[in-house]
Amino acid sequence: MEYAVETFSLTKIFSDWWGRAKVYAVDDLNLQVQRNEVFGLLGPNGSGKTTALKMLLGLLHPTKGKAICLGGDATDPKISARIGFLPEESYLYRYLTARETLDFYGRLFGLDRQVRKMRIEALLDMVGLKAVANRPVGTFSKGMARRIGLAQALINDPDLLILDEPTTGLDPIGTRQIKDLVLKLAKRGKTVLLCSHLLADVEDVCDRIAILYGGKIQAKGQVKDLLQQTHKRQITTDAISDSAVEKIKQIVRLENAECVVSSPMHKLETFFIDTVVAAQRQAQRTSGAVSTTKIGDFLTRETVSENILDKLVSTPLSQGPPAERAPTEKVVPAETAEPKPDERLLGKLAEPAQPQPVVADAKPGTKPVETSVPEQKLVKKDVLDELAGRSQPKTEDPGQTDKPYAGDSGDA
Amino acid sequence: MRSIWAVATNTIKQALRMKVALIFVLLLVVLLPVMALSTTGDYTLKGRLQTFVSYGLSLTSLLLCLLAIIVSIYTVTSEIEQRQIYTVITKPIRRFQFLLGKLLGVMLLNTGLLILFSAAIYTIAVYTPRFTKAADSELIEAENEFFTARNALAPPEVDVSTEVFEAIQKLQKSGDIEQIYAGMSPKEIVAQLTNLRKLAKRSADVGHELIWEFENVRPRDPNGSLFVRFKYQVSVTPPDSQVYSRWLVGDYRQYKYGMQGGVPMYPVQRKDPVREFREFEVPAVVAAEDGYLAVLFFNDPLNITSVIFPLEDGLEVLYKADTFTANFIRAVLLILFRLIFLACLGTLASTFLSFPVAILLCLALFSTASVSGFVIESFDYLSESLTAVYSYSLKWLIRLLPQFDKFNPSTYLVPGRLLSWSLVARVLVFMVCIKALLLLVFALIIFSFREIARIVV
Repeated sequence: MEYAVETFSLTKIFSDWWGRAKVYAVDDLNLQVQRNEVFGLLGPNGSGKTTALKMLLGLLHPTKGKAICLGGDATDPKISARIGFLPEESYLYRYLTARETLDFYGRLFGLDRQVRKMRIEALLDMVGLKAVANRPVGTFSKGMARRIGLAQALINDPDLLILDEPTTGLDPIGTRQIKDLVLKLAKRGKTVLLCSHLLADVEDVCDRIAILYGGKIQAKGQVKDLLQQTHKRQITTDAISDSAVEKIKQIVRLENAECVVSSPMHKLETFFIDTVVAAQRQAQRTSGAVSTTKIGDFLTRETVSENILDKLVSTPLSQGPPAERAPTEKVVPAETAEPKPDERLLGKLAEPAQPQPVVADAKPGTKPVETSVPEQKLVKKDVLDELAGRSQPKTEDPGQTDKPYAGDSGDA
Repeated sequence: MRSIWAVATNTIKQALRMKVALIFVLLLVVLLPVMALSTTGDYTLKGRLQTFVSYGLSLTSLLLCLLAIIVSIYTVTSEIEQRQIYTVITKPIRRFQFLLGKLLGVMLLNTGLLILFSAAIYTIAVYTPRFTKAADSELIEAENEFFTARNALAPPEVDVSTEVFEAIQKLQKSGDIEQIYAGMSPKEIVAQLTNLRKLAKRSADVGHELIWEFENVRPRDPNGSLFVRFKYQVSVTPPDSQVYSRWLVGDYRQYKYGMQGGVPMYPVQRKDPVREFREFEVPAVVAAEDGYLAVLFFNDPLNITSVIFPLEDGLEVLYKADTFTANFIRAVLLILFRLIFLACLGTLASTFLSFPVAILLCLALFSTASVSGFVIESFDYLSESLTAVYSYSLKWLIRLLPQFDKFNPSTYLVPGRLLSWSLVARVLVFMVCIKALLLLVFALIIFSFREIARIVV
């Protein structure tokens, strides 16, 4: 099976001027990140996380070993077009405005003007910088610059998102937003590789982690497996009476175990966000970034991706009944302003009003580097659910709908 | 291509918004008009025009050259230094595309500014005669000697090698050579004798004449004029420093071979000061149809001295071969080629050096190239003692440098000399297609294989 990221005894030795080996920044690193997984690379400062990422992206040459991203070399434009990268700090052109910055990166991806424009607006809205979009980013605070950096990494709707310390310099709302985003992307079948030393962030979003120290992996595995205390149990209840608590304690004592009862605390994060959201509701003015919990429209639904699965998952604006369409809580203002070509695209994607059995047979992905079998099953299930939920009444254009579908299911 | 263009436009924005280019633009905007008003030259209209165009173009060229060096280095090194390149190079863009985009941006900026400022210089120069109260004679002089592109023909070289050879043999036989040329190398003796013989061919005693024959004299306008430009050297300076002369210009063959029906030779009588350039005008029709032209000089018996025409530029025949505008455009092209070379040089330096070091290297090379004639000559002179080492190493390195001084546009525009397309093409081939391209290839190779990220553990 093919991994999204795979390294083979990746080693980086920094040598001094005479060529003598000085520091083993990364030492014999074997890493496998599966597709559609959120992988966390943890480690204290100077443990080689960033160096490993840089080798992955071709910014540094490995002394030994090899790194493969999405089945190829990350410097290959075909591969790098599907990667989003947020470096450890936001290195931005100080003289460009926020909008120009995103436009520049969009042009590097060869995106059309209209797609670019639509995505930039959606991203600016998402990172809460729409109000300061025409200000040079040189005047931005660290957190605001970070947000632009994040927007920049998402402009190509990447299949593989590499985030280096994504939450540094961000306020809790921004942090939360990034975590939400990561989870959303994972749900859409994207792969996220993030490296951080902020353990709380990693714990919340990562499926698997690896802990790096001295350039070597010290531990790796599922977050759940690593953290679960199998010798303890926790029971959470509504506010029950003291007598009930006493009863429970007695039962526990019968098992020869100890029991501690207390009211659970709110996480400070939740409390903070609630407070700020309340303040925002009173329309307090701020010169900084407007904190939103929005996530870029095209990142959650709009689909320019080659993957037919992605196309199927996405909902056409013009056709889906609104109640079913909106994924959950976020309603993004930009959605009504989407330009025509995207509607066309979306219309194409609105595809098949296929009867369910046919869909079930279909195996998507004629594209050479697309997802491999197990993950597809996972994703496909979502698709099927969604299709079953909403695609039945839409059979306006049967001739059109059949064709691309059949083509894409060719290797079934 | 799209990504190259994206990088290029970003580079231009950077240069303008970071005020690197702005300083140079401001300098030119301020200095050019000041120059136009303040230059006087030798207080004639021609002198004024010559000074303005020469200084204006040189200043534009110098500032834009510096700009090309600085921007091409700054734009690459700052991205590496400030690490914006991390997010750029990880996008679907090849490294060579990135570098080409940078170069394209620098070149577009420079070309734009060059066009802008040379157009300004041109406009000012062309309109200067209208706004100055110059006498008609000055207007005509400016028209004939400045607003023109004249081709200059020097008399054909005379081969004196056999004479020199015989003279040396004679000297050796008599044994005088040791006494007369004591302490000189054989090479130097030959050079000196050759010079003497050549000068002898260009000197006329009192009452004697000299004749020069030219080929390929093809004026642009057959009804226009030819100009004979000359400078006298004398053996004895006359009391009034004047030389009386008679000239005949035209088809000499009709007298030599008794041909009939040609245009008679055009007679001129003059009195000119010694050691100063002078020129007189003759109608262009005197040149034969096959491009043949002879110039006869007769040393008038009124003189008391023999007259010598110096070797380098003692006598030339000039005629209008192209317009001032076309000449000016070609001169600007020469500057453009310089800028291309320097931008490539800066790009190369920026791929492996940090900003200050790269700037230093490029400025050193730039100033060496600006005096390359001197450098090459002095090295050639010194090299006699270290021939092998020099001619196999340093010589080629020096030859790799472009020769900015040799192809200085002012040397053509100031005397109104024709800057031919063939010369422009030659500079294009050597300076851009070979030297600049070589630098660019090196830059692309280095940049493609270097590590972008800084070493941080």
